[in-house]
Amino acid sequence: MARGLTRAQLGVTEAMLATFGEAVFRMSHNLQVREGDPVRSLDWREIERQREAMGLADAQIAARLGLTREQVMFIRNTEESRRFRTGQHAYLLDLGGGRRYRPERVVRLEERFAYSEDALRLRASFRFDGELARRYIEQGWWADDTLPGWLARNAAARPEAPAIVFSKEIVSWKALEERVLRVAEGLRRAGVARGEVVAVQLPNVPEFVVALLAICRLGAVLSTLHMPYRAAEIAALVRHSRARAAICLAQGKDGSPADAFLAVTKTVVALGPRVEGCIAFEDLEGSPPLARDWPAPVAADPFVLLYTSGTTASPKGVPHSYHTLLSNARLSVPEHGLQASDRILSAAPFTHLFGLYALFCGASCGAASVLLPAFTPADLSTSIQNHKPSALWTAPAHIAAVRAQGLFDKHDWSSLRLAIMSGSACPPQLVRDFSEKLKNCAVTQLWGMTETQGALYTRPGDAPEVHCTSAGRPSPGTEVRISEESELQVRGCLLFPGFYDNAEANAAAFTPDGWYRTGDLAVMDAGGNVAITGRLKDIINRGGVKFNPVDVERLLDSHPKIMQSAIVPMPDPILGEKKSFNTCWTRTSRGTSCPKSSWSWPRCRSPRRARSSRGACAFRVPVSSASAPSSPVRPRRRPKPPDWAASAPGPMRPGRRCGSWPQGVAPRPGRMRSGLKFP
Amino acid sequence: MERARIEPAAAKQAIFEYSRKRGALAVGIADLEACERIAPQGHRPSDLFPRVKSIIALGVGGQTQGAWQLPAKAMAYSGSTEARAYKIAYGLAFHIEQKYGAPSVYVPPDLDPEGGPRVPLQSLKLHAELAGIGARSLAGDILLHPEFGFMYYASVFTELELPVDAPLAENPCPAPSCVSMYRQIGRTPCMKFCPAQCLSGEIDAEGRQKLMRYDMAACAELTQEYEAVPKMLAEAVQDEVRTRGAEGLLDPDRKMLWYKVSAGSGGWFAQCFECMRVCPVATRAPLADPILRSIKT
Repeated sequence: MARGLTRAQLGVTEAMLATFGEAVFRMSHNLQVREGDPVRSLDWREIERQREAMGLADAQIAARLGLTREQVMFIRNTEESRRFRTGQHAYLLDLGGGRRYRPERVVRLEERFAYSEDALRLRASFRFDGELARRYIEQGWWADDTLPGWLARNAAARPEAPAIVFSKEIVSWKALEERVLRVAEGLRRAGVARGEVVAVQLPNVPEFVVALLAICRLGAVLSTLHMPYRAAEIAALVRHSRARAAICLAQGKDGSPADAFLAVTKTVVALGPRVEGCIAFEDLEGSPPLARDWPAPVAADPFVLLYTSGTTASPKGVPHSYHTLLSNARLSVPEHGLQASDRILSAAPFTHLFGLYALFCGASCGAASVLLPAFTPADLSTSIQNHKPSALWTAPAHIAAVRAQGLFDKHDWSSLRLAIMSGSACPPQLVRDFSEKLKNCAVTQLWGMTETQGALYTRPGDAPEVHCTSAGRPSPGTEVRISEESELQVRGCLLFPGFYDNAEANAAAFTPDGWYRTGDLAVMDAGGNVAITGRLKDIINRGGVKFNPVDVERLLDSHPKIMQSAIVPMPDPILGEKKSFNTCWTRTSRGTSCPKSSWSWPRCRSPRRARSSRGACAFRVPVSSASAPSSPVRPRRRPKPPDWAASAPGPMRPGRRCGSWPQGVAPRPGRMRSGLKFP
Repeated sequence: MERARIEPAAAKQAIFEYSRKRGALAVGIADLEACERIAPQGHRPSDLFPRVKSIIALGVGGQTQGAWQLPAKAMAYSGSTEARAYKIAYGLAFHIEQKYGAPSVYVPPDLDPEGGPRVPLQSLKLHAELAGIGARSLAGDILLHPEFGFMYYASVFTELELPVDAPLAENPCPAPSCVSMYRQIGRTPCMKFCPAQCLSGEIDAEGRQKLMRYDMAACAELTQEYEAVPKMLAEAVQDEVRTRGAEGLLDPDRKMLWYKVSAGSGGWFAQCFECMRVCPVATRAPLADPILRSIKT
């Protein structure tokens, strides 16, 4: 420091720094003010009057403050150093060469590029095998795809072409881009920063698409919540995802989702009537557009965080980057035969990856998306007649419901030339019936998971039986194998990097050599077509919406009158399967009773008596069960460890993802629930 | 050695010719007395060179029109022509000593090692302003010349007594177009486009500078990397959690600074040029264009 002397030698203390730091800083050259042009005009009176404003030398300051010159020098240098923010010169890298700094658009560098701890935590979960990544890049599977990039490309190439068709509203690509930039700016002003998660619970409305693209344009991450989710699920998932903000409906069927989000996150954007404490979505759209030079996301950035199962119980968050999902969409578009002139309607909600996949494919090729806010058989059928989509993303449950109501004959479905069915078990007869109704439409099947998006699918040119009996062949860039246990395992450019913040799930999800264990049982024919034959995991798939029984059981068990509960799936002709409170034991003064709603439990083994710590009588749900003739389906939840050796051999049954539920199949004996909860 | 009596006016003329021949666009003699009176103690010419009689200030040309189109990071290198000014001044000091026998010194443009990174030994700006080869602009007092626009300056102190020049009669800043812009939006181009927003000011009813405010600390944060080095070192040592102490110094973004330190690459930004890039005087003065200059001179 000053003259090489230390603070102690100069007699400068922290108290002195605190006392004089501000004055020394301001009196020095750091802040300069000049009135008129006194030096050039040699106006001595003004020069003297303005000396302090123009900046004093250390000796002059010392004289004013009663310090030594060395002390002033030390204090000034310390103050300058303390105030100095490093990294500001990085602005220079963004300037010049035709790029002008615009204060009205400026966002501080630290705000533009700094990631919050939560954002870094999510980014840290993205780890791919280096050798595989190199291969994906070499093969051209991983490219520079981003949703904002695709949006900009479509807006430039086909500005007036429809991007969204919703009721009587048609939004062009150009108009969509403008809306996206405004909402992005609104979100930015609301505090959403790059890399942060924004939870979205909206039906398939234009605002969902706008929100998705705006979140992406900011470099933030979308996390969807299914529409049926209520306060408990919302709270659990928002906490797990560490969402910075939420976008939801102001008013739902049975309450205000906005209120539920407000309880767990500060920034809530509500679509619909104004809600106190929330930002109205229309206000976001009224924002000025985001600066065009706002740093765009890159393909390696995370951009969605989806939850595949488990809400309150150990949520399994599936993060994806543009690399994984958009490479899959881009490579699949030609396989599906999609092009810019197509109109894609997704009957699946966008809160599911299957629904998002429809958006991604549309954005990839510039096709329009026809939006159906919520599925009902009649709405789907009339929407197809009115908007004439050429491609349909749908679930077997949707088509089964339409068939059951005879709507194929009531409305005109002839515009369709591609239908992709996915999400749950698909009975072959349903595919046949659907194909029969739509002569010019290729009815294909797709198998995918939140972890993979479109991993397997049949192609429009495949033989009819392939569509009926299999989930097809791997998508480009995807490898599948079937393990010795008949489990389907997946690897490829579409595969997620691992569950977010769930080491336990990750340990179980991947094989040592990096393949993802899907939990589905499968067989592969000579043509490479994969048929799903069963399920290793115990999640209940209700028409594509997956429930973790543990969530429901915990909720039930928390009721004072319920002692123990167990959830098993029941078949449903529309939904594939549905959850049922099959064993729900109530605590009464006289012991336990079986509620009327449950199936005939007494036909199964009676509950064993057990003695509680208080000495009262208690009952335990049996951890094993025998076949019950009245039971419509085998208990689906497998024991740990599996005890198949003790099971009676049964007929091979198609799995719920790609097959049918034949009625009257004898349930396979097995334990009702894992031994973890009931030791 | 007995020398013939030196005619100050002739010597001044010879010195000007010498300087111009070697690339100086403008040369002038500053009023020593005024300089001594204005400069603070410790930074007066006599503090550095006690027997100084005259201050010679010279300026060399700035950038080509092409250079103004470069990205800022490249301007920091290609735009830095101050070395040429120093070279002329260095040679001029020798020339005066040899020709007139008067001890002279090329004024070190460096910072005062006691004062820290923001304090120069001498104000070359003050010398040039008093010598009439530049006037303070609204852009942080950067000097502008009505004919040559933006220049780099160097000075020579000599014991040779030379007739002084007057400061410029008119200040070219603000240019009429800047006044027009100020009337509309309350800011001149330099104020609007400064990336650190360190400039503000006012223009009076006659289109002259009324008030100039310059936040040098903000400017320094953006442009002066050398101030960042000790700060980063301190941060790295203290910030054990985030960067695990000194390991943070090897972060790629910081590593570049150490590279510049060790390689002496000249990567010490001293200005970002954005205020000059948008200044009509700096870039569009009649002789700011070197091609026009070569034709007219």
